[in-house]
Amino acid sequence: MLLDPAPRRLGVLDALHRIGALARHNLIIRLRDPGQMISYVAMPMVLMLVLKPLYVRALDQGVAQIATGLMVMFSVFAISMAGNAILSERTWRTWDRLRVSRAPAFELLIGKTLPLFVVMIAQQAILIVYGCLAIGLPVPPSPPLVLLAIVIWAFALLSLGAVLATLVRSHGELSVISDVGALTLSSLGGALVPLSIMPGWAQAAAHVSPGYYALDMMQAAVRGDAAGVVPSAAVLLVLGLAAGAFAARRLARGWGRGGLL
Amino acid sequence: MLVATDLVKRYGDVQALDGFTLSVAAGEIVGLLGHNGAGKTTFVEIVSHLIRPDGGRVTIDGRPPSAARGEVGVAPQHLALYPSITVREHLELYGRLAGLRRTALHEAIEELAVVLRLTEIMDRRTGRLSGGQQRRTQAASALVHRPRLLLLDEPTAGADLETRQAMLDVVKQRAGEGAAVVYTTHYLPELTELRATIAVARSGRIIARGACDELLRDLPGEVRVTLDGEEEIAVSTSDPAAALVDLLGRVNRPVTSVDVRNPSLDDLYRSLAVTHAA
Repeated sequence: MLLDPAPRRLGVLDALHRIGALARHNLIIRLRDPGQMISYVAMPMVLMLVLKPLYVRALDQGVAQIATGLMVMFSVFAISMAGNAILSERTWRTWDRLRVSRAPAFELLIGKTLPLFVVMIAQQAILIVYGCLAIGLPVPPSPPLVLLAIVIWAFALLSLGAVLATLVRSHGELSVISDVGALTLSSLGGALVPLSIMPGWAQAAAHVSPGYYALDMMQAAVRGDAAGVVPSAAVLLVLGLAAGAFAARRLARGWGRGGLL
Repeated sequence: MLVATDLVKRYGDVQALDGFTLSVAAGEIVGLLGHNGAGKTTFVEIVSHLIRPDGGRVTIDGRPPSAARGEVGVAPQHLALYPSITVREHLELYGRLAGLRRTALHEAIEELAVVLRLTEIMDRRTGRLSGGQQRRTQAASALVHRPRLLLLDEPTAGADLETRQAMLDVVKQRAGEGAAVVYTTHYLPELTELRATIAVARSGRIIARGACDELLRDLPGEVRVTLDGEEEIAVSTSDPAAALVDLLGRVNRPVTSVDVRNPSLDDLYRSLAVTHAA
């Protein structure tokens, strides 16, 4: 018996239509409250300019260190953007309202996270370009490799942000965890000070920080070292997939009536 | 259209539903009454496929709730709106999620804007609207795709008169077009105006269901007659009009006021609560 492909194609188109509607809706929300987005791009720009002389004098690869280090650090801060976006659905009680719609859970998740993903990629890309234009970061020999690294890191960050949003009970809790966590993890990962001049215990502890792998991957990508990108990219991909699966499961089931402060 | 049979749901030590059975036909409005904690919202959440029951069965047009999403319009008890998004953008979002496009979407939105008196505020962000305007926006979001089953959980809670009337008008209109409606409320006169079938929930189950007149038939009304502006005679009776005629025939003093009160839904509600508490 022949199968009629028309309904299936229509189903895919309908799904794309719904995802498009959700992504557009979430993009509007983002653009109407752009404060976080702007500060996480502007702050590292200012810091790069101010700190560049210090890093150039202190380190051989000072410019690369300050450009990639601050990019990683402020991209970790952007976890709170993802967390806030998802947590807001919970505090506004709109997530359950969406779950009642025809869109299945995976469409809701894609529609919700797609604009955030784009924003995170844009943030990192802007900072790399700014590094090249404003503080003399050498133009990467392989821009696609840098873009790949940015995409992988944005994916991992988005997943971590989503996990946080499903676990915390208020925006205050999210703010504390994401800000303190971002500073700790990115510093420990070598974003501010190269690992080579950090104490032994810190060098050992750095391996538990996603910031360490992000910085290692990003610096390899900026050098055009594809082989150097792979190990850290693999770690971040696994982390992102695990965190994403956890968050997706939690979000698909909703929060029920409890859990908020 | 909606058939729920023996639903059971427990939250820890709390038995939210305990054999909850209710059916709603196409075109029927069922007014679901009950104290807070009677199980009304849990029932709505199960039918909306937001939570799963521990036991029992729900079908919507013969299908489980998971397969009937899109046929259901839900206005939850709590406001669920995006404060930075306009009324029009809300309706566009939920309309698009339900599969409406271009002309159909535009027409559905414009029609609801008129019926629910939203025309003037369509391009205002919901965070800046009054409570009543937000309630109407929420209802419009539930109605925009013309669902065949409407679940309205206290849609007029805290709403002004304009909102309440607009809501009742649109519910009557949609039921007239064949939608099945579950309408939970604490404002009993609304159900009289909607000519709703009444279902009373208590302790997680339905303890009475029927047409308003049927349920009120056996309840006593009251006749209150004041004589000489001083003495008051009150009679509780199932036939207040006959009792009044009888009373006026027996008294030989000037009657200064007469008050005849037929049994109301409030009486039914109180009576059932007392009966089942006992």
